[in-house]
Amino acid sequence: MEIEEILEKWSGGVYSVSIGACAEDGGSRKNTVRIGGQKSLPLLFKEGDIPNRPVIAFEIWDIPPQDWPEGLVSSYGKAPEDPLIWAQMCVKDFGARLLCLRLQGAHPDCGDKSPEECARFVSSLLEKVSVPLIIIGSGDDAKDNLVMPACSEAAKSERCLLGCATQENYKTLAASALADGHSIIAESPIDINIAKQLNILISDMGFALDRIVINPTIGALGYGLEYAYSIMERGRIAALSGDKTLSSPFICFTGQESWKAKEAKGGDKQGVIWEIITASSLIQAGADILVMRHPEAAKRVFGHISVLFGGNNSDH
Amino acid sequence: MKITFYPANKSTSVEKGASILSAALSAGIPLNASCGGDGVCGKCRVILKKGEVFSKASSLLTEEEKNKGVYLACLTSVMSDAEVEIPSASGFPSKDDIYFEPEIRDETQGRPIAAESFIRKVYLEQGLIEELHKALADEKKVSGIPQILSKETTITLAVTKDKAEVIRTEPGDSRSRNYGFAFDIGTTTVCGRLVDLNSGKTACSGSSYNMQVSLGSDIITRIVFAGKGEGLRILHESICGTVNRIIRGLADRGGINLEDVSCIVCSGNTTMIHFLLNKDPSKIRKEPCLEPSGLPFFSKAGESGITIGSNGLLVCLPGVSGYLGGDAVSGVLSCAMYRENALCALVDIGTNGEIILGNRDFLVGCAASAGPAFEGSGLSCGMRAEDGAIESVSVNKNDLNVSYSVIGKGSPKGICGSGYISLLASMLDSGLIDKNGRIKAEGSRIRPGDAGKEFVICLKEETGADIFISEADIDNLKRSKAAIYSAAAILARHLDLNLADVSKFFVSGGFGSSLDIEKAVSIGLLPDVEKERFVFIGNSSLSGATRALLSSCEMCEARAIASRITYFDLSSDPEYMDEYGQALFFPHTDLSRFSGKSRHDKPKGEEQHGN
Amino acid sequence: MPLSGLDIYKLLPKTNCRRCGLSTCLAFAMQLAKKTMSADKCPFISEQTKKLLEEQSQPAIRTLILGEGKDRFEAGGETVMFRHEEKFRNPCGIGFVIEDSLSDEEIASRVKKINSLKFERVGQVLDVNMVAVRQNSDQKRFVRATEIVMDSTGLPVVLMGSSPASLRQAASAASERKPLLYCATKDNFTQIASIAKDFRLPVVVSAPSLDELSYVTKELVSLGVDALLLDTGRKPLSEKIWDATQIRRQALKKANRALGYPEFVMAENDDPYEEAAEAAVHITKYASVIILKGIQSWEALSVLTLRQNIYTDPQKPLQIEPRLYPVGEAGENSPVLVTTNFSLTYYTVLGEVEASKIPSYIISVDTEGMSVLTAWAAEKFTAQAISDSLENSGIKKMIKHKNLIIPGYVAVLSGELEEKSGFKVIVGPKEAAGISSFLKNLN
Repeated sequence: MEIEEILEKWSGGVYSVSIGACAEDGGSRKNTVRIGGQKSLPLLFKEGDIPNRPVIAFEIWDIPPQDWPEGLVSSYGKAPEDPLIWAQMCVKDFGARLLCLRLQGAHPDCGDKSPEECARFVSSLLEKVSVPLIIIGSGDDAKDNLVMPACSEAAKSERCLLGCATQENYKTLAASALADGHSIIAESPIDINIAKQLNILISDMGFALDRIVINPTIGALGYGLEYAYSIMERGRIAALSGDKTLSSPFICFTGQESWKAKEAKGGDKQGVIWEIITASSLIQAGADILVMRHPEAAKRVFGHISVLFGGNNSDH
Repeated sequence: MKITFYPANKSTSVEKGASILSAALSAGIPLNASCGGDGVCGKCRVILKKGEVFSKASSLLTEEEKNKGVYLACLTSVMSDAEVEIPSASGFPSKDDIYFEPEIRDETQGRPIAAESFIRKVYLEQGLIEELHKALADEKKVSGIPQILSKETTITLAVTKDKAEVIRTEPGDSRSRNYGFAFDIGTTTVCGRLVDLNSGKTACSGSSYNMQVSLGSDIITRIVFAGKGEGLRILHESICGTVNRIIRGLADRGGINLEDVSCIVCSGNTTMIHFLLNKDPSKIRKEPCLEPSGLPFFSKAGESGITIGSNGLLVCLPGVSGYLGGDAVSGVLSCAMYRENALCALVDIGTNGEIILGNRDFLVGCAASAGPAFEGSGLSCGMRAEDGAIESVSVNKNDLNVSYSVIGKGSPKGICGSGYISLLASMLDSGLIDKNGRIKAEGSRIRPGDAGKEFVICLKEETGADIFISEADIDNLKRSKAAIYSAAAILARHLDLNLADVSKFFVSGGFGSSLDIEKAVSIGLLPDVEKERFVFIGNSSLSGATRALLSSCEMCEARAIASRITYFDLSSDPEYMDEYGQALFFPHTDLSRFSGKSRHDKPKGEEQHGN
Repeated sequence: MPLSGLDIYKLLPKTNCRRCGLSTCLAFAMQLAKKTMSADKCPFISEQTKKLLEEQSQPAIRTLILGEGKDRFEAGGETVMFRHEEKFRNPCGIGFVIEDSLSDEEIASRVKKINSLKFERVGQVLDVNMVAVRQNSDQKRFVRATEIVMDSTGLPVVLMGSSPASLRQAASAASERKPLLYCATKDNFTQIASIAKDFRLPVVVSAPSLDELSYVTKELVSLGVDALLLDTGRKPLSEKIWDATQIRRQALKKANRALGYPEFVMAENDDPYEEAAEAAVHITKYASVIILKGIQSWEALSVLTLRQNIYTDPQKPLQIEPRLYPVGEAGENSPVLVTTNFSLTYYTVLGEVEASKIPSYIISVDTEGMSVLTAWAAEKFTAQAISDSLENSGIKKMIKHKNLIIPGYVAVLSGELEEKSGFKVIVGPKEAAGISSFLKNLN
């Protein structure tokens, strides 16, 4: 007797979010990156459309990185000493199609750069590289509420992805992103309910749900990865079941978390594989953007995505 | 040392070195001390007007406050006669010690109470024992009959299923004077009722804050307090003090002699009953599933320090477990859901909320630690539902101006539970706050405060009182409503039922005469089902106690109900925190459960995924 | 459809007699639904009901015991598609392949290296589970290689013979270790079945399609062999995910017993990074045994750690070992913070302390994995417990001050804790998010 395959019939799907604007959309990017749009669980191609594969964003800072393990920094040679050169290296040497800029230099403890300085940096970066940008604040709410509007304006019409809005601090960022045509990252602390609540709050401000990306706050391999893994699985199942307020793609800061791990601080290979496994297991939970740090890990995860999705499609 | 408290204008004398908190306690003034007097919550701020004190340093007070003479009552000892002012945020605004209900609610729910009370008075003309047996009609064993009976004697009996006990004998015919008390012993509020056992009518009802609020706002803090030194005795005396005060107040108001009262029936959560009976409650905290055995059903009121007629009986309605007490059992008795065919739910909104689900076939229950917000406690301008309390508010969408109504029509003094529900509903509806409870609008009525932004309902200049709600208040209310709703939702889920399957919701709580169900639904306190399915039944614990007082049959029912209810411990339920997290939003994170339109649709669980 | 607690309740006597030890029949019914008690605890239950409940408790996916002795392990027995629905039960076995073409010494040293792959993380020992011997040449060499492996390790063995005859020889040599036979196909299953029956061994069934798999498993069962694992062979990774998903769905949702067996995956790859990434896919998506090639400890550690993460019971909080944890270059003047041993709480606190860049000590108190407020309410995070932890942690000898920072939510413990411990208590913030700035503003 033939076995009848069991196919899930999903009523919903993940919103498709586009990052970066080319000339025809009023921006200056050479490429755009499209994520989300799935109508099926990860890799179950037979059950629904999976139009986009997960993408890797290289994480760069506006200042030379602090607290990064030596082996990680040296993988970029001397480039990180000048963040603009570092950014260009990611694009030219490592084939980055998406950059994630963290404005760490704006943090009161890391230089306390003014909003104007930060905005100028964003403008220069946009000139130096032509890939789409994700721009993340310093993590200091009060400061970010001054810095992010300035940077948002400096990148007006470039359709960046700005982050991170939180439940206690989302209005300023959402208002700027709305005004300047960007999308937004909604960050929740490993809590699916807060993720959903924040999406509702942001959409109540007039923000279209298809311009929100969820940062579920992951833990690295061995450091609570499974919490985020299950939160993402649950979120994705809810999205496919028709819950529009959870139908956003996921961004995972895999590099940031992996390189905090004790294991990553030891040998080079151990760190690289830590970042690879963190990323590849989260792909199975539905990760759409992986923000990565080590170029070797990024290259390997890119290869792994090609194995999973077939071919070596360099469009993404 | 003589200490006088204002604005109550009450004095007490204490020993030198006693804390202001203990002085307030002995003066019968409840102070807000949610930490139980450990100097860490900072809620018992008082202002010293006169006198000398010694105070331990506290980082909770600002320099400005210190300069104004503000002290923490729990950390401050009196060194001389003193005068102390209690700011409204630290105390429990209340016109009188006891608030007497202006109208007596019909508590029968259209269900007349059958048969006689277990307290009966028999008049013996000849003073013969034979007469007594004849009066009892059946052959019960009667104990406690005095050797010699004079002619023309009235005997008061406590009659149970198979026996009768003589409580009292008195000369003459006193049958027309037969009274009892029914009490609801709440964590925050204690309510009492004087009932004429002959007519079954309530003479008067009154309530007061449980004096124990000065020893911690939640039961865990109080259980911890009970474990330290004289803690249990202090808590016991404090609750007895509150009960006795209400008893005296009711007797005065009803114009009766306490000697004519033979019985007090109490229902309360298991912890409160432990304190009332002066029993150690520590095991409740360790094993929440514990059966509340070891608590007597009948005892002598006098042995617990409760003052009613001589030799009077204290009846404590039995509970189900450590966190599901006799108040819940009493509630089930009151709404009679245990007799219904259809699925019913009882939602008791109190500091220790309780949810019971079931019908004649089964009964399950759980407790929800909701906190005292809906009883008007622990909030900047909260008060009980009594004269001066704002009971409904509406905010104008366009200019954010407010209109409100006040209980007793006088000028407003604070906001009661139903007022807060109405206010929240209106703030949400007008877009003044976001669904997370943060004030997002701007305007003349919005100002920064110590605990987030504040929305002003009336200004001091306008009404003599500054009445507002802060973001911290909203958070507090949000947690309370989330605890109640999520407990109900998870209890239903335990049984693979859905709240939408419940055909009748009995809602109970100290909301005064009314509760706007639609508003309670719109903030997510109650589930979104047709309005017709809700019945507001007031204080169900008190009505159940009244029924048990008036009818020996119903008293038996109460015992049967207690043994039938299956208790679920939410703290050990892995899904509870998730359900609670979903409910920490207005009205709820799963908006499809509160669509208001698709009322016949079954709510969608987020884990349903088309298989 | 499994019966709910209420369904079962209707079948019970409803007398609340308490003979089962619970206070009501409904409470008992709920336990039966959760399968945490058995029906025979009720003396009044009908035979019919008892039978119904027993059928209920048959697992949809078989649990197999692989190997013998202390290194044996259980595979299968899974009950859900997603770990948040309940949990994944039996951590998948991780094994390594050994070619019989290697020299005797190479085999022995490779097995020695495999034996040494043991790591400790968060109080648990992570170790590997299997060795697979693969035949590349003649029968004799295969048997010899099997014997060397058996002599060098107690780990369960997979025999990957190229013919039934070789498998019989090796199985005979290794029979007391209960080796796993690889593999039965539609062409050889009768021969494999006879080996399996003779030595009472488990078998991997290999077939490229589910139809063929279920055909072979049914045949094997009819031949009396039912300790089976399923393998769909080498395929593109996304097809492997599809197969694994289908197999589990067939078992769980359709109760298809022909596919109700644990899954076996060969995931060898010469590149350790790629191999680990593929292993990650199989760990998350339903494999019960995974055979790899790479034996470098950095690869094994990452794979085993992922397995530990994915197989953590989501309903049981992961605990860390309750002890003193220095953060950064903590010294005699460093602040001391106390928290619970719920790992999420601890790591959140740790993250914030690290962010402050102030070297500190964190003491985690054994609260049985409860978070701060829950532990306080349940009397696990008390002044006494904290005071004892301080005493046992040895912190007193490591610092020159006597200050202790406690979570804001348990400020109420301050007084008693000061009395009991002799420390001066400083009340910290309620939420971990405030710790970083709190530490910076200390002094």
